[in-house]
Amino acid sequence: MAYPYRHERETLVIAKHFGDAEARPLAGYRERGGYQALEKALSMTPEEIVDVMKASGLRGRGGAGFPTGVKWSFMPKEKKGPHYLVVNADESEPGAFKDRELLRWTPHQLIEGCLIGAYAMRVEHVYVYSRGEFFEPAQIVGRAIAEAYEAGIVGERVLGSGPRIDMTQHLGAGAYICGEETGLMNSLEGRRGQPRIKPPFPAAVGVFGAPTTINNVETLCAVPHIIANGADWYRQWGTEKSPGTKLFNVSGHVKRRGNYELPLGFPLRDLIYDVCGGIEGDRSLKAVIPGGSSVPMLSADEIDIPMDYESVAAAGTMLGTASVIVMDETTDIVKATRRMVEFYAHESCGQCTPCREGTTWMAKIMRRIENGAGRPEDIQTLLDLGKNMTGTTICVLSDSTAAPVNSSIAKFREEYDAKLAMAAKTVGTPDSTAATSALAH
Amino acid sequence: MAERRDWAGERGDFARLSEAEVRGESYVGERPLDGGVPGSACSYPYMLEEKQPEAPLFEGAYQARFEKIMSRYPERGGALLPVLNLAQEVRGWLSPESMDRVAELLELSPMYVRGVATFYTMYNKRPVGRHLIQVCTNVCCNICGADDVMAAFVEATGAEPGEISGDGLFTVIEAECLGACGFPTAVQINSRYYENVGAADVPSILDDLRARDARAVPGWKPDIPLHEVAKDPATARLPDAVEAGRGERRAPRDGGPK
Repeated sequence: MAYPYRHERETLVIAKHFGDAEARPLAGYRERGGYQALEKALSMTPEEIVDVMKASGLRGRGGAGFPTGVKWSFMPKEKKGPHYLVVNADESEPGAFKDRELLRWTPHQLIEGCLIGAYAMRVEHVYVYSRGEFFEPAQIVGRAIAEAYEAGIVGERVLGSGPRIDMTQHLGAGAYICGEETGLMNSLEGRRGQPRIKPPFPAAVGVFGAPTTINNVETLCAVPHIIANGADWYRQWGTEKSPGTKLFNVSGHVKRRGNYELPLGFPLRDLIYDVCGGIEGDRSLKAVIPGGSSVPMLSADEIDIPMDYESVAAAGTMLGTASVIVMDETTDIVKATRRMVEFYAHESCGQCTPCREGTTWMAKIMRRIENGAGRPEDIQTLLDLGKNMTGTTICVLSDSTAAPVNSSIAKFREEYDAKLAMAAKTVGTPDSTAATSALAH
Repeated sequence: MAERRDWAGERGDFARLSEAEVRGESYVGERPLDGGVPGSACSYPYMLEEKQPEAPLFEGAYQARFEKIMSRYPERGGALLPVLNLAQEVRGWLSPESMDRVAELLELSPMYVRGVATFYTMYNKRPVGRHLIQVCTNVCCNICGADDVMAAFVEATGAEPGEISGDGLFTVIEAECLGACGFPTAVQINSRYYENVGAADVPSILDDLRARDARAVPGWKPDIPLHEVAKDPATARLPDAVEAGRGERRAPRDGGPK
């Protein structure tokens, strides 16, 4: 059984039940050992659980890679009011499609992880914030929550003996920025999803003014396995600083696109050429984005790196969500970059001037370069814009726009130059800055 | 005609799985009219195919769902998005009047609600066709040919992006990343994902939708199998065009905001 592909080099922990429709319902999940970790967790103290999580070295899978156990330890030990745990199921980073598979194949694994986290952080209400487009996965998670309530797993007394923990599914309505944790909190409160300035950090003042922890779906799905088997067991995979397994979601020009669960530190070259079967049509590789569209791209000769947080950072980019976008020799880098920049221009929440103005201008300039109406000074303007958009805003959406632009100019300058040379030949071409998309909708 | 392969499962090593198993339809089953367990989402920001722009808001079964939503948040504001979702689910779009009604019920200012509603792309600020077709043209789908798919949808429906086609059936728009990057091109039609869509698949997808429309009983029956929530017959009202006669669809509205 596999979904849609399996590879012998995979290490299946959280993705074990992909493609197993019988593991979805509560009964099937329990037959496969489900909710035993929760039982074990309830026999431990909250501090013991946080210690195990710290020892496991699990790092947040939503992109930033912050150690989960440390994040959990920030929550107040003494309760002065409600605590909240919010599941970030807003997956909207271009390139990322891992959480959707977790939501739709293993909803109870997520619920179990949520309940362990909620118990460890003395949370009484878990919100599962999923993007509005995820209708099918949300239906499945909704059914699982209903099953869990009916079976007494969630609700008045967790598993009959634990504290009261409620769960509520909440659907967004289409905004990339709501995947940023403080934007998500604002959205959950019924505001525009505009990120907040930190501090205060969510563990002090989070959603509805209460201490809150926000965790990614994949992070929470790993929790039951770590609690059941121990921190050392989890550390058998990965590297010292990036332990465990990770879903690598590969898209673009490979033969076998899909989600593969591999130990962190897995070689990027092997991921593309072995696990994913190589490039479509056996063409040659041009560029790889290793962690979703927000991170700098790598050129074909830079892919001999292990895929863990430190090694990818050392190569000048980021592991992010491990969403690998593979581009072959036929790819127009300027066009691909323009499309990414347009996305960020559309999704900028408009709060910070460098982002609101910068993303829009970058999109306009990229459009005119692509359409053969670029000006010689445009490259420098893009670089200057990128500089002013990095580190100057509340969240990193602005930095994320500059990343593909800067890296594509640094590594594929000749493609920009070719478009500009084309423009120089056609003197008098009007600027093609008209919106080409129907994004105004 | 090219063989259609428009859901994720049709690729890969697992021919033995059915589409219903991959999509989880057999597991989800039919959702109760009143939304079921309050903790499971009682509303979705998607549209039923059968849109009822004049239907009363939050009556009948929708009253129960409204109350369940309200019970899940410590502050009224938390319920705003789910309640807007519910309004759009009933009426197909968020008219100024719908937004004002939501503001009144949640005791928020009308301008605040408009400010929030216009922030989110899934809220339709003007009416859309029976089938809202959202084509992902973001980078992963784009490098695999999404622009061609978008162009094919525009050509086959005869509607400019964002407009309602002459027969009232289709609105095609470009969408930002749908989170199905491994299955390019990803297309969302109303609530349903179509994956691995190529430009050549477009005519047959539209034909299928038309064929299903012809079979659908207008009014309240769910027209997406299993996934749609059935309308409460007590409060359902038939759209004018359907009242006037089957097969005739509402013409695109004049004077709508551009």
